[in-house]
Amino acid sequence: MTLLSDIYYVCWRDMKRFLVQKPRILMTVVQPLVWLVLMGNMMSGLTDNPFTARMLGVEKYIDFMTPGIMIMTTLFGGIFGGVSLVWDRRIGFLNKMLSAPICRASIPVGKMAATALQSIFQVSIIALIALALGVRFSTGIPGFLLMIAITTLFSFAMSGISLSIAIFVKTIEGLHPILNFLTMPMMFTSNAIFPEAAMPAWLRTISAWNPLSYAVTPVRTLAIEGWVWEKIIPGLSVTFFFALVMVFIATVQFKRSIA
Amino acid sequence: MAHIIETDRLTKTYAGGVTAVNGVSFAVEEGEIFGFLGPNGAGKSTTIMMLTTLIRPTSGRASVAGFDVAKEPDRVRLSFGYVSQELAVDDNLTGRDNLFLQAGFYHLPKKEARARCEELLKLVDLYERAGDLVETYSGGMRKRLDIAAGLIHRPKVLFLDEPTLGLDIQTRRQIWQYITHLREEVNMTIFLTTHYMDEADALCDRIAIIDRGVIKVIDTPANLKSRIGGDIVNIRFAEAVQEKIAEAVRAVSGLPVVYSVKPHKGGCIVVVKNVESAIPEIFQVTQPLEVKISSVTVKRPSLDDVYLHFTGRELRNESGSREDAMRSRMMMRRMRAG
Ligand SMILES: Nc1ncnc2c1ncn2[C@@H]1O[C@H](COP(=O)(O)OP(=O)(O)OP(=O)(O)O)[C@@H](O)[C@H]1O
Ligand SMILES: [Mg+2]
Repeated sequence: MTLLSDIYYVCWRDMKRFLVQKPRILMTVVQPLVWLVLMGNMMSGLTDNPFTARMLGVEKYIDFMTPGIMIMTTLFGGIFGGVSLVWDRRIGFLNKMLSAPICRASIPVGKMAATALQSIFQVSIIALIALALGVRFSTGIPGFLLMIAITTLFSFAMSGISLSIAIFVKTIEGLHPILNFLTMPMMFTSNAIFPEAAMPAWLRTISAWNPLSYAVTPVRTLAIEGWVWEKIIPGLSVTFFFALVMVFIATVQFKRSIA
Repeated sequence: MAHIIETDRLTKTYAGGVTAVNGVSFAVEEGEIFGFLGPNGAGKSTTIMMLTTLIRPTSGRASVAGFDVAKEPDRVRLSFGYVSQELAVDDNLTGRDNLFLQAGFYHLPKKEARARCEELLKLVDLYERAGDLVETYSGGMRKRLDIAAGLIHRPKVLFLDEPTLGLDIQTRRQIWQYITHLREEVNMTIFLTTHYMDEADALCDRIAIIDRGVIKVIDTPANLKSRIGGDIVNIRFAEAVQEKIAEAVRAVSGLPVVYSVKPHKGGCIVVVKNVESAIPEIFQVTQPLEVKISSVTVKRPSLDDVYLHFTGRELRNESGSREDAMRSRMMMRRMRAG
Protein backbone atom coordinates (compact mmCIF):
# COMPACT_ATOMS: atom_id res chain seq x y z
CA MET A 1 0.00 0.00 0.00
CA THR A 2 2.17 2.80 -1.24
CA LEU A 3 -0.72 4.97 -2.38
CA LEU A 4 -0.67 7.26 0.66
CA SER A 5 3.08 7.73 0.55
CA ASP A 6 2.93 8.47 -3.17
CA ILE A 7 0.15 11.01 -2.69
CA TYR A 8 2.20 12.56 0.08
CA TYR A 9 5.24 13.08 -2.15
CA VAL A 10 3.26 14.42 -5.13
CA CYS A 11 1.52 16.82 -2.76
CA TRP A 12 4.77 17.68 -0.95
CA ARG A 13 6.31 18.76 -4.25
CA ASP A 14 3.38 20.97 -5.22
CA MET A 15 3.37 22.56 -1.76
CA LYS A 16 7.12 23.26 -1.96
CA ARG A 17 6.54 24.85 -5.36
CA PHE A 18 3.76 26.95 -3.87
CA LEU A 19 5.78 28.09 -0.87
CA VAL A 20 8.81 29.06 -2.92
CA GLN A 21 6.78 31.49 -4.99
CA LYS A 22 6.71 34.44 -2.64
CA PRO A 23 4.73 36.74 -4.96
CA ARG A 24 2.05 34.10 -5.30
CA ILE A 25 1.67 33.80 -1.54
CA LEU A 26 1.60 37.56 -1.17
CA MET A 27 -1.18 37.69 -3.75
CA THR A 28 -3.23 35.18 -1.83
CA VAL A 29 -3.17 37.64 1.06
CA VAL A 30 -3.53 40.85 -0.87
CA GLN A 31 -6.34 39.72 -3.12
CA PRO A 32 -8.94 38.92 -0.44
CA LEU A 33 -7.85 42.02 1.46
CA VAL A 34 -8.60 44.19 -1.55
CA TRP A 35 -11.89 42.43 -2.23
CA LEU A 36 -13.08 42.71 1.34
CA VAL A 37 -12.00 46.28 1.97
CA LEU A 38 -12.99 47.63 -1.44
CA MET A 39 -16.18 45.69 -2.12
CA GLY A 40 -17.14 45.83 1.53
CA ASN A 41 -16.95 49.63 1.41
CA MET A 42 -18.40 50.08 -2.05
CA MET A 43 -21.43 48.04 -1.30
CA SER A 44 -21.90 49.24 2.27
CA GLY A 45 -24.59 51.58 0.92
CA LEU A 46 -26.75 48.49 0.35
CA THR A 47 -27.01 47.81 4.03
CA ASP A 48 -27.90 51.47 4.81
CA ASN A 49 -31.08 50.83 2.88
CA PRO A 50 -33.44 48.73 5.04
CA PHE A 51 -34.98 47.03 1.99
CA THR A 52 -31.70 45.74 0.53
CA ALA A 53 -30.38 44.99 3.97
CA ARG A 54 -33.26 42.60 4.43
CA MET A 55 -32.41 40.91 1.13
CA LEU A 56 -28.84 40.37 2.24
CA GLY A 57 -29.94 39.33 5.67
CA VAL A 58 -27.03 41.06 7.35
CA GLU A 59 -26.21 44.36 8.99
CA LYS A 60 -23.00 44.90 7.05
CA TYR A 61 -22.32 43.86 3.47
CA ILE A 62 -18.90 42.55 4.46
CA ASP A 63 -20.57 39.89 6.61
CA PHE A 64 -22.42 38.72 3.50
CA MET A 65 -19.31 38.98 1.32
CA THR A 66 -16.83 37.03 3.43
CA PRO A 67 -18.25 33.54 2.77
CA GLY A 68 -18.66 34.44 -0.92
CA ILE A 69 -15.01 35.49 -1.15
CA MET A 70 -13.91 32.29 0.56
CA ILE A 71 -15.67 30.15 -2.03
CA MET A 72 -14.60 32.32 -4.95
CA THR A 73 -10.97 32.14 -3.89
CA THR A 74 -11.31 28.38 -3.62
CA LEU A 75 -12.93 28.31 -7.05
CA PHE A 76 -10.01 30.17 -8.66
CA GLY A 77 -7.35 28.13 -6.88
CA GLY A 78 -9.09 24.88 -7.76
CA ILE A 79 -10.04 25.53 -11.34
CA PHE A 80 -6.44 26.32 -12.27
CA GLY A 81 -5.17 23.22 -10.47
CA GLY A 82 -4.96 21.36 -13.79
CA VAL A 83 -2.40 23.75 -15.21
CA SER A 84 0.38 22.07 -13.25
CA LEU A 85 -0.39 18.75 -14.95
CA VAL A 86 -0.01 20.31 -18.39
CA TRP A 87 3.19 21.93 -17.24
CA ASP A 88 4.60 18.65 -15.92
CA ARG A 89 3.80 16.97 -19.19
CA ARG A 90 5.56 19.68 -21.09
CA ILE A 91 8.81 19.68 -19.13
CA GLY A 92 8.96 15.88 -19.06
CA PHE A 93 8.37 15.67 -15.33
CA LEU A 94 5.19 13.69 -15.79
CA ASN A 95 7.14 10.98 -17.59
CA LYS A 96 9.70 11.04 -14.83
CA MET A 97 6.97 10.35 -12.27
CA LEU A 98 5.34 7.74 -14.48
CA SER A 99 8.60 5.87 -14.98
CA ALA A 100 8.85 5.49 -11.18
CA PRO A 101 6.91 2.72 -9.43
CA ILE A 102 4.30 5.07 -7.97
CA CYS A 103 0.55 4.43 -7.97
CA ARG A 104 -0.82 6.15 -11.04
CA ALA A 105 -3.76 7.56 -9.07
CA SER A 106 -1.45 9.36 -6.68
CA ILE A 107 -0.55 11.93 -9.34
CA PRO A 108 -4.03 13.48 -9.79
CA VAL A 109 -5.00 12.89 -6.15
CA GLY A 110 -1.75 14.37 -4.84
CA LYS A 111 -2.21 17.43 -7.01
CA MET A 112 -5.80 17.87 -5.83
CA ALA A 113 -4.65 17.49 -2.23
CA ALA A 114 -2.03 20.19 -2.70
CA THR A 115 -4.61 22.52 -4.24
CA ALA A 116 -6.92 21.84 -1.29
CA LEU A 117 -4.18 22.61 1.24
CA GLN A 118 -3.51 25.88 -0.53
CA SER A 119 -7.20 26.72 -0.39
CA ILE A 120 -7.28 26.00 3.37
CA PHE A 121 -4.39 28.40 3.76
CA GLN A 122 -6.18 31.06 1.71
CA VAL A 123 -9.52 30.65 3.45
CA SER A 124 -7.83 30.98 6.82
CA ILE A 125 -6.15 34.19 5.69
CA ILE A 126 -9.50 35.52 4.52
CA ALA A 127 -11.02 34.66 7.89
CA LEU A 128 -8.24 36.49 9.72
CA ILE A 129 -8.61 39.57 7.53
CA ALA A 130 -12.38 39.53 7.99
CA LEU A 131 -11.91 39.17 11.72
CA ALA A 132 -9.65 42.22 11.72
CA LEU A 133 -12.33 44.12 9.80
CA GLY A 134 -14.88 43.34 12.48
CA VAL A 135 -16.62 40.30 11.01
CA ARG A 136 -17.70 37.73 13.61
CA PHE A 137 -18.80 34.20 12.67
CA SER A 138 -21.93 33.28 14.58
CA THR A 139 -20.86 29.64 15.04
CA GLY A 140 -17.38 30.45 16.30
CA ILE A 141 -14.41 28.12 15.89
CA PRO A 142 -16.40 24.87 15.42
CA GLY A 143 -18.43 26.56 12.72
CA PHE A 144 -15.28 27.84 11.09
CA LEU A 145 -13.85 24.31 10.99
CA LEU A 146 -16.97 23.09 9.19
CA MET A 147 -16.62 26.03 6.79
CA ILE A 148 -13.05 24.89 6.07
CA ALA A 149 -14.30 21.36 5.46
CA ILE A 150 -16.84 22.61 2.91
CA THR A 151 -14.35 24.82 1.06
CA THR A 152 -11.90 21.90 0.99
CA LEU A 153 -14.51 19.63 -0.59
CA PHE A 154 -15.33 22.35 -3.06
CA SER A 155 -11.64 22.70 -3.89
CA PHE A 156 -11.41 18.98 -4.69
CA ALA A 157 -14.43 19.27 -6.96
CA MET A 158 -12.99 22.24 -8.84
CA SER A 159 -9.48 20.84 -9.26
CA GLY A 160 -11.10 17.58 -10.34
CA ILE A 161 -12.86 19.41 -13.17
CA SER A 162 -9.67 21.21 -14.04
CA LEU A 163 -7.55 18.05 -14.15
CA SER A 164 -10.16 16.19 -16.19
CA ILE A 165 -9.93 18.91 -18.81
CA ALA A 166 -6.13 19.18 -18.58
CA ILE A 167 -5.84 15.48 -19.40
CA PHE A 168 -7.26 16.15 -22.86
CA VAL A 169 -6.16 19.71 -23.54
CA LYS A 170 -2.43 19.23 -23.52
CA THR A 171 -1.27 22.83 -23.91
CA ILE A 172 -1.46 25.70 -21.47
CA GLU A 173 -2.51 28.01 -24.29
CA GLY A 174 -5.51 25.80 -24.92
CA LEU A 175 -6.37 25.21 -21.30
CA HIS A 176 -6.45 28.77 -19.99
CA PRO A 177 -9.33 30.08 -22.10
CA ILE A 178 -11.45 27.04 -21.29
CA LEU A 179 -10.92 27.47 -17.57
CA ASN A 180 -11.59 31.20 -17.76
CA PHE A 181 -14.73 30.51 -19.70
CA LEU A 182 -15.90 28.21 -16.92
CA THR A 183 -15.15 30.46 -13.96
CA MET A 184 -16.73 33.75 -14.93
CA PRO A 185 -20.29 32.57 -15.66
CA MET A 186 -20.14 30.24 -12.68
CA MET A 187 -19.26 33.14 -10.42
CA PHE A 188 -21.86 35.59 -11.68
CA THR A 189 -24.72 33.14 -11.75
CA SER A 190 -24.19 32.17 -8.13
CA ASN A 191 -25.13 33.73 -4.82
CA ALA A 192 -21.47 34.41 -3.97
CA ILE A 193 -21.73 38.18 -4.47
CA PHE A 194 -25.46 38.90 -4.91
CA PRO A 195 -28.23 37.61 -2.69
CA GLU A 196 -30.69 35.29 -4.41
CA ALA A 197 -33.50 37.51 -3.17
CA ALA A 198 -32.24 40.31 -5.42
CA MET A 199 -32.08 38.18 -8.56
CA PRO A 200 -34.61 38.00 -11.39
CA ALA A 201 -36.43 34.68 -11.47
CA TRP A 202 -34.42 33.14 -14.33
CA LEU A 203 -31.13 33.91 -12.64
CA ARG A 204 -32.44 32.54 -9.38
CA THR A 205 -33.14 29.25 -11.14
CA ILE A 206 -29.63 29.04 -12.53
CA SER A 207 -28.17 30.01 -9.19
CA ALA A 208 -30.17 27.31 -7.47
CA TRP A 209 -28.48 24.71 -9.70
CA ASN A 210 -25.03 26.30 -9.58
CA PRO A 211 -22.55 24.15 -7.64
CA LEU A 212 -20.96 27.36 -6.41
CA SER A 213 -24.19 28.33 -4.65
CA TYR A 214 -24.37 24.90 -3.04
CA ALA A 215 -21.01 25.58 -1.45
CA VAL A 216 -21.74 29.21 -0.57
CA THR A 217 -25.08 28.66 1.19
CA PRO A 218 -23.90 26.38 4.03
CA VAL A 219 -20.77 28.47 4.59
CA ARG A 220 -22.80 31.65 4.70
CA THR A 221 -25.35 30.08 7.02
CA LEU A 222 -22.59 29.07 9.40
CA ALA A 223 -21.07 32.54 9.25
CA ILE A 224 -24.24 34.57 9.69
CA GLU A 225 -27.21 32.61 10.94
CA GLY A 226 -25.69 29.86 13.06
CA TRP A 227 -26.30 26.10 13.19
CA VAL A 228 -29.34 26.09 10.93
CA TRP A 229 -28.96 22.49 9.82
CA GLU A 230 -31.77 22.47 7.26
CA LYS A 231 -29.81 25.12 5.34
CA ILE A 232 -26.43 23.47 5.88
CA ILE A 233 -27.11 19.80 5.10
CA PRO A 234 -28.28 20.12 1.45
CA GLY A 235 -25.29 22.22 0.36
CA LEU A 236 -22.87 20.15 2.37
CA SER A 237 -24.05 16.84 0.92
CA VAL A 238 -24.23 18.12 -2.66
CA THR A 239 -20.70 19.52 -2.38
CA PHE A 240 -19.50 16.28 -0.82
CA PHE A 241 -20.90 14.13 -3.65
CA PHE A 242 -19.75 16.60 -6.27
CA ALA A 243 -16.21 16.35 -4.88
CA LEU A 244 -16.37 12.57 -4.74
CA VAL A 245 -17.56 12.27 -8.32
CA MET A 246 -14.98 14.73 -9.67
CA VAL A 247 -12.07 13.06 -7.85
CA PHE A 248 -13.24 9.75 -9.27
CA ILE A 249 -13.62 11.05 -12.83
CA ALA A 250 -10.26 12.85 -12.77
CA THR A 251 -8.48 9.76 -11.47
CA VAL A 252 -10.09 7.37 -13.94
CA GLN A 253 -9.50 9.71 -16.87
CA PHE A 254 -5.91 10.18 -15.86
CA LYS A 255 -5.28 6.44 -15.61
CA ARG A 256 -6.86 5.95 -19.00
CA SER A 257 -4.78 8.65 -20.64
CA ILE A 258 -1.48 6.98 -19.82
CA ALA A 259 0.00 3.71 -21.05
CA MET B 1 17.46 -14.70 -17.19
CA ALA B 2 19.80 -14.56 -20.09
CA HIS B 3 19.88 -10.88 -20.98
CA ILE B 4 19.11 -7.84 -18.90
CA ILE B 5 17.31 -6.14 -21.76
CA GLU B 6 15.65 -8.13 -24.51
CA THR B 7 13.35 -7.06 -27.29
CA ASP B 8 11.63 -9.14 -29.90
CA ARG B 9 10.24 -7.46 -33.00
CA LEU B 10 9.33 -4.42 -30.94
CA THR B 11 7.13 -2.03 -32.92
CA LYS B 12 5.44 1.27 -32.23
CA THR B 13 2.98 2.95 -34.54
CA TYR B 14 1.72 6.27 -33.20
CA ALA B 15 -1.91 7.29 -33.40
CA GLY B 16 -1.08 9.54 -36.36
CA GLY B 17 0.10 6.51 -38.34
CA VAL B 18 3.85 7.07 -38.03
CA THR B 19 5.70 3.82 -37.41
CA ALA B 20 8.52 5.16 -35.28
CA VAL B 21 10.01 1.79 -34.37
CA ASN B 22 9.62 -1.11 -36.73
CA GLY B 23 10.33 -4.67 -35.62
CA VAL B 24 13.39 -4.03 -33.51
CA SER B 25 15.08 -7.03 -31.86
CA PHE B 26 18.19 -6.91 -29.73
CA ALA B 27 19.64 -8.11 -26.44
CA VAL B 28 21.83 -6.30 -23.95
CA GLU B 29 24.18 -8.14 -21.59
CA GLU B 30 24.41 -7.30 -17.93
CA GLY B 31 27.11 -4.69 -17.27
CA GLU B 32 27.26 -3.59 -20.87
CA ILE B 33 27.11 -0.05 -22.22
CA PHE B 34 24.84 -0.37 -25.20
CA GLY B 35 24.24 2.54 -27.54
CA PHE B 36 21.54 3.42 -30.02
CA LEU B 37 23.06 5.60 -32.68
CA GLY B 38 20.81 7.37 -35.12
CA PRO B 39 19.72 10.73 -36.51
CA ASN B 40 16.74 12.85 -35.39
CA GLY B 41 13.49 10.97 -35.66
CA ALA B 42 15.16 7.56 -35.96
CA GLY B 43 13.03 6.14 -33.16
CA LYS B 44 15.55 6.23 -30.32
CA SER B 45 13.33 7.93 -27.75
CA THR B 46 10.35 5.87 -28.78
CA THR B 47 12.32 2.68 -28.10
CA ILE B 48 13.43 3.96 -24.69
CA MET B 49 9.88 4.96 -23.82
CA MET B 50 8.64 1.48 -24.57
CA LEU B 51 11.40 -0.05 -22.45
CA THR B 52 10.62 2.35 -19.59
CA THR B 53 6.88 1.47 -19.68
CA LEU B 54 5.89 5.01 -20.71
CA ILE B 55 4.25 3.95 -23.93
CA ARG B 56 2.80 0.61 -24.94
CA PRO B 57 4.36 -1.29 -27.82
CA THR B 58 1.99 -1.72 -30.75
CA SER B 59 3.37 -5.20 -31.21
CA GLY B 60 6.36 -7.25 -30.22
CA ARG B 61 7.78 -7.90 -26.81
CA ALA B 62 10.37 -6.38 -24.50
CA SER B 63 11.74 -7.27 -21.11
CA VAL B 64 13.99 -5.46 -18.66
CA ALA B 65 15.73 -7.29 -15.80
CA GLY B 66 13.70 -10.37 -16.65
CA PHE B 67 10.27 -8.73 -16.43
CA ASP B 68 7.99 -8.10 -19.37
CA VAL B 69 7.37 -4.36 -19.82
CA ALA B 70 3.71 -4.85 -20.67
CA LYS B 71 2.87 -7.52 -18.10
CA GLU B 72 4.84 -6.48 -15.03
CA PRO B 73 5.42 -2.76 -15.43
CA ASP B 74 5.90 -2.10 -11.71
CA ARG B 75 8.69 -4.62 -11.32
CA VAL B 76 10.31 -3.26 -14.45
CA ARG B 77 10.08 0.28 -13.07
CA LEU B 78 11.92 -0.68 -9.90
CA SER B 79 14.80 -2.09 -11.90
CA PHE B 80 15.74 0.88 -14.06
CA GLY B 81 16.60 4.54 -13.79
CA TYR B 82 15.49 6.84 -16.60
CA VAL B 83 17.05 10.12 -17.62
CA SER B 84 14.93 11.57 -20.39
CA GLN B 85 15.96 13.71 -23.31
CA GLU B 86 14.21 16.67 -21.70
CA LEU B 87 15.70 18.22 -18.60
CA ALA B 88 13.05 16.85 -16.28
CA VAL B 89 14.08 18.59 -13.08
CA ASP B 90 11.82 20.84 -11.05
CA ASP B 91 13.03 24.44 -11.23
CA ASN B 92 11.09 25.50 -8.17
CA LEU B 93 12.76 23.02 -5.87
CA THR B 94 16.35 22.94 -4.69
CA GLY B 95 18.71 20.36 -6.11
CA ARG B 96 18.55 18.42 -2.86
CA ASP B 97 14.75 18.48 -2.78
CA ASN B 98 14.62 17.20 -6.36
CA LEU B 99 16.61 14.15 -5.30
CA PHE B 100 14.68 13.69 -2.08
CA LEU B 101 11.44 13.73 -4.04
CA GLN B 102 12.81 11.12 -6.42
CA ALA B 103 13.75 8.96 -3.43
CA GLY B 104 10.17 9.29 -2.22
CA PHE B 105 8.86 8.10 -5.56
CA TYR B 106 10.99 4.97 -5.13
CA HIS B 107 9.81 4.45 -1.54
CA LEU B 108 13.21 4.71 0.10
CA PRO B 109 13.03 5.15 3.88
CA LYS B 110 13.59 8.81 4.77
CA LYS B 111 16.90 8.31 6.53
CA GLU B 112 18.37 6.25 3.73
CA ALA B 113 16.97 8.74 1.22
CA ARG B 114 18.78 11.64 2.88
CA ALA B 115 22.06 9.77 2.93
CA ARG B 116 21.69 8.72 -0.70
CA CYS B 117 20.93 12.31 -1.76
CA GLU B 118 24.14 13.62 -0.18
CA GLU B 119 26.17 10.83 -1.73
CA LEU B 120 24.81 11.48 -5.21
CA LEU B 121 25.14 15.25 -4.90
CA LYS B 122 28.83 14.68 -4.26
CA LEU B 123 29.12 12.24 -7.14
CA VAL B 124 27.82 14.78 -9.65
CA ASP B 125 29.69 17.71 -8.04
CA LEU B 126 26.59 19.60 -6.98
CA TYR B 127 27.13 19.38 -3.24
CA GLU B 128 27.98 23.06 -2.82
CA ARG B 129 24.91 24.19 -4.75
CA ALA B 130 22.51 21.58 -3.42
CA GLY B 131 20.51 24.07 -1.37
CA ASP B 132 19.93 26.47 -4.26
CA LEU B 133 16.83 26.47 -6.41
CA VAL B 134 17.35 24.61 -9.67
CA GLU B 135 16.24 27.70 -11.61
CA THR B 136 19.65 29.17 -10.77
CA TYR B 137 21.50 26.16 -12.28
CA SER B 138 23.23 26.04 -15.65
CA GLY B 139 22.20 23.52 -18.30
CA GLY B 140 25.08 21.22 -17.42
CA MET B 141 24.23 21.31 -13.72
CA ARG B 142 20.62 20.44 -14.44
CA LYS B 143 21.67 17.51 -16.56
CA ARG B 144 23.95 16.26 -13.81
CA LEU B 145 21.15 16.59 -11.30
CA ASP B 146 18.81 14.72 -13.61
CA ILE B 147 21.32 11.88 -13.96
CA ALA B 148 21.75 11.76 -10.18
CA ALA B 149 17.96 11.46 -9.83
CA GLY B 150 18.02 8.48 -12.17
CA LEU B 151 20.50 6.75 -9.87
CA ILE B 152 18.67 7.31 -6.58
CA HIS B 153 17.45 3.73 -6.15
CA ARG B 154 20.64 2.10 -7.43
CA PRO B 155 18.97 0.67 -10.51
CA LYS B 156 20.29 -2.34 -12.38
CA VAL B 157 19.82 -0.59 -15.69
CA LEU B 158 20.17 3.08 -16.52
CA PHE B 159 18.45 4.53 -19.59
CA LEU B 160 20.06 7.73 -20.84
CA ASP B 161 18.28 9.43 -23.72
CA GLU B 162 20.82 11.70 -25.42
CA PRO B 163 22.66 12.44 -22.19
CA THR B 164 24.97 15.11 -23.61
CA LEU B 165 22.66 16.87 -26.04
CA GLY B 166 23.72 20.47 -26.45
CA LEU B 167 26.30 20.45 -23.67
CA ASP B 168 29.79 21.91 -24.04
CA ILE B 169 32.84 19.70 -24.51
CA GLN B 170 33.98 19.79 -20.89
CA THR B 171 30.59 18.91 -19.51
CA ARG B 172 30.22 16.11 -22.05
CA ARG B 173 33.53 14.60 -21.01
CA GLN B 174 32.51 14.89 -17.38
CA ILE B 175 29.29 13.01 -18.09
CA TRP B 176 31.20 10.38 -20.02
CA GLN B 177 33.33 9.93 -16.93
CA TYR B 178 30.30 9.37 -14.71
CA ILE B 179 28.98 6.84 -17.18
CA THR B 180 32.18 4.80 -17.32
CA HIS B 181 32.52 5.13 -13.56
CA LEU B 182 29.08 3.58 -13.08
CA ARG B 183 29.93 0.66 -15.27
CA GLU B 184 33.28 0.05 -13.63
CA GLU B 185 32.34 0.62 -9.99
CA VAL B 186 28.86 -0.85 -9.75
CA ASN B 187 28.62 -2.92 -12.92
CA MET B 188 25.52 -1.03 -13.99
CA THR B 189 24.05 -1.78 -17.39
CA ILE B 190 23.67 1.39 -19.40
CA PHE B 191 21.47 1.87 -22.43
CA LEU B 192 22.08 5.19 -24.08
CA THR B 193 21.05 6.92 -27.26
CA THR B 194 23.08 9.48 -29.09
CA HIS B 195 23.59 10.98 -32.47
CA TYR B 196 27.21 11.83 -31.73
CA MET B 197 29.68 9.45 -33.38
CA ASP B 198 32.47 10.21 -30.96
CA GLU B 199 30.22 9.57 -28.00
CA ALA B 200 29.11 6.18 -29.25
CA ASP B 201 32.70 5.33 -30.08
CA ALA B 202 34.13 6.43 -26.75
CA LEU B 203 31.51 4.89 -24.46
CA CYS B 204 29.74 1.94 -25.97
CA ASP B 205 30.69 -1.68 -25.81
CA ARG B 206 28.24 -2.29 -28.59
CA ILE B 207 26.35 0.01 -30.91
CA ALA B 208 23.09 -0.47 -32.75
CA ILE B 209 22.72 1.80 -35.74
CA ILE B 210 19.07 2.72 -36.09
CA ASP B 211 17.55 4.58 -38.99
CA ARG B 212 13.87 5.22 -39.68
CA GLY B 213 12.80 2.79 -36.98
CA VAL B 214 14.92 -0.11 -38.19
CA ILE B 215 18.16 -1.46 -36.75
CA LYS B 216 20.69 -1.66 -39.57
CA VAL B 217 23.49 -3.35 -37.66
CA ILE B 218 24.63 -4.18 -34.12
CA ASP B 219 28.26 -4.69 -33.25
CA THR B 220 31.25 -3.38 -31.30
CA PRO B 221 32.70 -0.10 -32.58
CA ALA B 222 35.89 -1.92 -33.65
CA ASN B 223 34.01 -4.63 -35.54
CA LEU B 224 31.76 -2.08 -37.18
CA LYS B 225 34.77 -0.28 -38.50
CA SER B 226 36.37 -3.47 -39.72
CA ARG B 227 33.15 -4.39 -41.51
CA ILE B 228 33.88 -1.52 -43.86
CA GLY B 229 36.40 -3.94 -45.26
CA GLY B 230 39.58 -2.92 -43.57
CA ASP B 231 42.03 -0.05 -43.29
CA ILE B 232 42.64 2.57 -45.88
CA VAL B 233 46.17 3.11 -47.24
CA ASN B 234 46.94 6.11 -49.40
CA ILE B 235 50.08 5.66 -51.53
CA ARG B 236 51.87 8.29 -53.57
CA PHE B 237 54.58 7.63 -56.12
CA ALA B 238 57.46 9.90 -57.01
CA GLU B 239 57.36 11.40 -60.54
CA ALA B 240 57.57 8.58 -63.11
CA VAL B 241 56.31 7.53 -66.51
CA GLN B 242 52.56 7.01 -66.59
CA GLU B 243 52.79 3.37 -67.69
CA LYS B 244 55.21 2.52 -64.91
CA ILE B 245 52.80 3.86 -62.33
CA ALA B 246 49.92 1.95 -63.88
CA GLU B 247 52.05 -1.16 -63.79
CA ALA B 248 52.79 -0.63 -60.08
CA VAL B 249 49.11 -0.12 -59.29
CA ARG B 250 48.32 -3.35 -61.11
CA ALA B 251 50.96 -5.15 -59.10
CA VAL B 252 49.53 -3.83 -55.82
CA SER B 253 46.00 -4.82 -56.73
CA GLY B 254 47.21 -8.36 -57.35
CA LEU B 255 48.23 -8.81 -53.69
CA PRO B 256 46.01 -11.15 -51.63
CA VAL B 257 45.80 -8.73 -48.63
CA VAL B 258 44.35 -6.03 -50.85
CA TYR B 259 40.58 -5.66 -51.25
CA SER B 260 40.39 -2.81 -53.70
CA VAL B 261 42.55 -0.19 -55.37
CA LYS B 262 41.49 3.14 -56.75
CA PRO B 263 43.97 5.40 -58.66
CA HIS B 264 44.21 8.78 -56.99
CA LYS B 265 46.44 11.80 -57.78
CA GLY B 266 49.63 10.11 -59.00
CA GLY B 267 49.16 7.24 -56.62
CA CYS B 268 46.35 5.10 -55.33
CA ILE B 269 43.98 4.49 -52.42
CA VAL B 270 44.15 0.91 -51.27
CA VAL B 271 41.72 -0.83 -48.93
CA VAL B 272 43.55 -3.64 -47.18
CA LYS B 273 42.68 -6.46 -44.83
CA ASN B 274 45.50 -5.76 -42.42
CA VAL B 275 47.82 -2.72 -42.59
CA GLU B 276 50.65 -4.23 -40.57
CA SER B 277 51.37 -6.93 -43.12
CA ALA B 278 50.03 -5.10 -46.16
CA ILE B 279 52.54 -2.25 -46.16
CA PRO B 280 55.70 -4.38 -46.35
CA GLU B 281 54.08 -6.44 -49.10
CA ILE B 282 53.24 -3.34 -51.08
CA PHE B 283 56.86 -2.18 -50.81
CA GLN B 284 58.12 -5.59 -51.86
CA VAL B 285 55.94 -5.85 -54.92
CA THR B 286 56.76 -2.33 -56.17
CA GLN B 287 60.52 -2.50 -55.54
CA PRO B 288 61.51 -4.32 -58.78
CA LEU B 289 59.48 -1.86 -60.85
CA GLU B 290 60.85 1.49 -61.96
CA VAL B 291 58.81 3.59 -59.51
CA LYS B 292 59.50 5.00 -56.08
CA ILE B 293 56.93 5.38 -53.32
CA SER B 294 57.16 8.93 -52.00
CA SER B 295 54.61 8.72 -49.18
CA VAL B 296 52.25 6.32 -47.41
CA THR B 297 49.42 7.39 -45.13
CA VAL B 298 47.18 5.01 -43.22
CA LYS B 299 43.65 5.85 -42.10
CA ARG B 300 41.45 3.64 -40.03
CA PRO B 301 37.81 3.95 -41.00
CA SER B 302 35.74 6.14 -38.65
CA LEU B 303 32.22 5.50 -37.49
CA ASP B 304 31.16 8.07 -40.06
CA ASP B 305 32.31 5.76 -42.80
CA VAL B 306 30.46 2.95 -41.04
CA TYR B 307 27.30 4.98 -40.73
CA LEU B 308 27.42 5.99 -44.38
CA HIS B 309 28.04 2.39 -45.33
CA PHE B 310 25.00 1.02 -43.46
CA THR B 311 22.43 3.76 -43.97
CA GLY B 312 23.61 5.31 -47.21
CA ARG B 313 23.39 8.66 -45.46
CA GLU B 314 25.85 10.88 -43.71
CA LEU B 315 25.43 11.78 -40.08
CA ARG B 316 26.66 15.08 -38.76
CA ASN B 317 29.65 14.27 -36.69
CA GLU B 318 30.69 17.41 -34.96
CA SER B 319 29.41 17.60 -31.46
CA GLY B 320 27.57 20.65 -30.31
CA SER B 321 26.48 21.64 -33.79
CA ARG B 322 24.36 24.70 -34.28
CA GLU B 323 21.15 22.74 -34.55
CA ASP B 324 21.83 20.97 -31.27
CA ALA B 325 22.63 24.16 -29.50
CA MET B 326 19.34 25.54 -30.76
CA ARG B 327 17.39 22.50 -29.68
CA SER B 328 18.84 22.60 -26.21
CA ARG B 329 18.36 26.33 -25.91
CA MET B 330 14.71 25.87 -26.75
CA MET B 331 14.52 23.20 -24.11
CA MET B 332 16.01 25.55 -21.52
CA ARG B 333 13.68 28.35 -22.45
CA ARG B 334 10.76 26.00 -22.06
CA MET B 335 12.06 25.08 -18.64
CA ARG B 336 12.39 28.67 -17.56
CA ALA B 337 9.34 30.24 -19.11
CA GLY B 338 6.29 30.68 -16.95
N1 LIG C 1 3.69 11.26 -29.59
C1 LIG C 1 3.95 11.10 -30.90
N2 LIG C 1 2.94 11.07 -31.79
C2 LIG C 1 3.18 10.88 -33.11
N3 LIG C 1 4.40 10.74 -33.64
C3 LIG C 1 5.46 10.76 -32.82
C4 LIG C 1 5.29 10.94 -31.40
N4 LIG C 1 6.51 10.93 -30.84
C5 LIG C 1 7.40 10.74 -31.83
N5 LIG C 1 6.78 10.63 -33.03
C6 LIG C 1 7.43 10.39 -34.33
O1 LIG C 1 8.14 9.18 -34.28
C7 LIG C 1 9.38 9.27 -34.94
C8 LIG C 1 10.50 8.88 -34.00
O2 LIG C 1 10.59 9.81 -32.96
P1 LIG C 1 11.62 9.65 -31.75
O3 LIG C 1 11.35 10.74 -30.81
O4 LIG C 1 11.56 8.27 -31.24
O5 LIG C 1 13.01 9.87 -32.47
P2 LIG C 1 14.47 10.07 -31.88
O6 LIG C 1 15.33 9.08 -32.53
O7 LIG C 1 14.42 10.07 -30.40
O8 LIG C 1 14.85 11.50 -32.42
P3 LIG C 1 15.60 12.74 -31.71
O9 LIG C 1 17.05 12.53 -31.98
O10 LIG C 1 15.08 13.91 -32.44
O11 LIG C 1 15.25 12.73 -30.27
C9 LIG C 1 9.47 10.70 -35.45
O12 LIG C 1 9.10 10.68 -36.81
C10 LIG C 1 8.45 11.45 -34.64
O13 LIG C 1 7.89 12.49 -35.40
MG1 LIG D 1 14.83 11.41 -28.95
